[in-house]
Amino acid sequence: MTKTIDQIAEMLRRREISRRGFLGTGAALAGASLAPSLMSGSAFAAAAPVTFVSWGGAYQDAQKACYCDPFTAKTGTPVVQDGPMNESKYRTMVESGESVWDVADVTHEFLYNGIKNNLFEKLDASKLHLDRVPQQYRTDYGVGDIVWSYNIGYSTKVFTEENHPKSWADVFDLEKFPGTRTLNADGPQAVFEVATMANGTPMDKVYEVLATPEGVKAALDKLSTIKKNVIFWDTNSQSQQLFTDGEVSCGIILNGRAYDAAQKGAAIAVEWNQNIQSIDYLVIPRGSKNVEGAHGLIDEMMVAENQAKLANMIAYAPTNPAAFSAIDEKVSRWLSTHPDNAAKGFVINATFWRDHLEGLLEQWENWKLS
Amino acid sequence: MLASLRPRGAGWLVLPAAVLLLLFFAVPISWLLAASVSYPQLGLQNFAALYEKTIYLRVLGNTVVISGVTTFWCAIIGYPLAFTMANGSPRVRRALVFIILIPFWTSLLVRTFAWMVLLQKQGLINDLLMSAGLIDSPVALIYNRLGVYIGMVQVLLPFMIFPLYSVMVRIDKSYSQAAATLGAPPIRNFFRIYLPLSLPGVLSGASLVFISALGYYITPALLGGPADMMIAQMIEKQISQFGNWGLAGALAVVLLVGTGVSLAIVHRVLGVRAGWRRA
Repeated sequence: MTKTIDQIAEMLRRREISRRGFLGTGAALAGASLAPSLMSGSAFAAAAPVTFVSWGGAYQDAQKACYCDPFTAKTGTPVVQDGPMNESKYRTMVESGESVWDVADVTHEFLYNGIKNNLFEKLDASKLHLDRVPQQYRTDYGVGDIVWSYNIGYSTKVFTEENHPKSWADVFDLEKFPGTRTLNADGPQAVFEVATMANGTPMDKVYEVLATPEGVKAALDKLSTIKKNVIFWDTNSQSQQLFTDGEVSCGIILNGRAYDAAQKGAAIAVEWNQNIQSIDYLVIPRGSKNVEGAHGLIDEMMVAENQAKLANMIAYAPTNPAAFSAIDEKVSRWLSTHPDNAAKGFVINATFWRDHLEGLLEQWENWKLS
Repeated sequence: MLASLRPRGAGWLVLPAAVLLLLFFAVPISWLLAASVSYPQLGLQNFAALYEKTIYLRVLGNTVVISGVTTFWCAIIGYPLAFTMANGSPRVRRALVFIILIPFWTSLLVRTFAWMVLLQKQGLINDLLMSAGLIDSPVALIYNRLGVYIGMVQVLLPFMIFPLYSVMVRIDKSYSQAAATLGAPPIRNFFRIYLPLSLPGVLSGASLVFISALGYYITPALLGGPADMMIAQMIEKQISQFGNWGLAGALAVVLLVGTGVSLAIVHRVLGVRAGWRRA
């Protein structure tokens, strides 16, 4: 991997002059477009732009409306939108020392691997109101902006509010709760945690157990007990479709997908007990040309009212707990960081997965094929 | 006649195709094949991994078994169909060609999704069987090996039928008539006369189906379960999920060599045993 990246980086370096030339033209154009606002008297209008890269689609549209536009209105700093986020492009950029991006929205896997590979600027705590976001949703290099979770999803046609699988042990109990299950097959994350909890391990001991070979074997053995009754999903839309079509009675689904399916009329509900939360982080790519502006934008993204606005728009959970007072009750019960929901689950252990992914992935693939 | 039309040094006529193939096929393929022995460093480590880790052997085994079974069922279903086409009235022939070609014009992805709608638990087939009282609870027709076979046989069937048909229409009917006048009962007549004469069609159809099946990707991914992974899916996974170009390259080499060897075997068998006529 590193070898090809180095080669690409070298190619980029050789094109450095033309890139500079290109950027120069871009800056001149940006300056020209800013001139009218300078004349209209805004004191901040000369600020250098911040380039923000995220995942595109409805998510980034909402981020623009709820975070970037208010930031520009307050500080006069224009925000350039780029996307979708691409991890190999990110690496190539940072390793070539020419990051065009100033703020990036990344997954927890990328955050922890990136810290190891020195891909981020360390956050300057003095430039951020870090107290807005609880400790478990931030690190020295990234602040969480949204939280999502793996949940027990169940069909409301098969089960009721009173009588449905209320724990992962119930999901693995084919007698008490009959029907086909669904689990994610795209990677070992979540599946191993879920099987371990089904074996009776309490939430705070899951990773301790999974760090041992016996724990891994016990999880796989547990998975084998329901293997014949599982339809696996590789993409989130598949998981949504399986519930919509009534192909499965319960299983793993992301809260946002269950919300979306329910909005579209599917007979689906989620149980919050033993949910596994995952965080998307905001980071500053190493070599960013506007670290100052990047801190400003990240700080704006932690403001409660902005996060509440985003949650109301697309139902992603805020990391700032103060946001909940402004979120519609119909939406907030679907959100992973709602105090009631967060208390019933735990945050995925990103360092565990950074260190164990390779080994568990192989065993997982083997198990699937056997 | 034709010779007079042939320009001197007609090689340039293939130039567009050659450039296209070279740039967009030969170059990237060679790059991927080279990666198998040079990534992450020079050596045979990727092939060693293929051999040592059971997972890759299983996927290879899956690929051969699924392709073989698909070929078998295509032959079983395709043979009587091609026979009817070759020996039926022109009206029957036209109708059958039409029926076989229509799905052939539809995108593979669309047909695979159509199978999902038909085969799933709440799907059309299970609904019909249940309302007819033939089964009490839905049968698992999809997300398992059966689903892969159903989908692949349907998609690949025309590749069996057309080579078979083209051989069958050229079989001289007087051979069978001669055998009949000499007292051969119909079944014996078929196995001794017709089947051997149609064998080149079976073999070329089977080789087309088998070789196409080896590289199948969409159908097993959508209709199969996790245990039905084929080699093309594994190659895709290695690249897009793990960024492991070396191992993907090694898998591609195995697929390429496997395809080449099957092709060579078929050509040999066809060329020697059945007297393949090269025009």
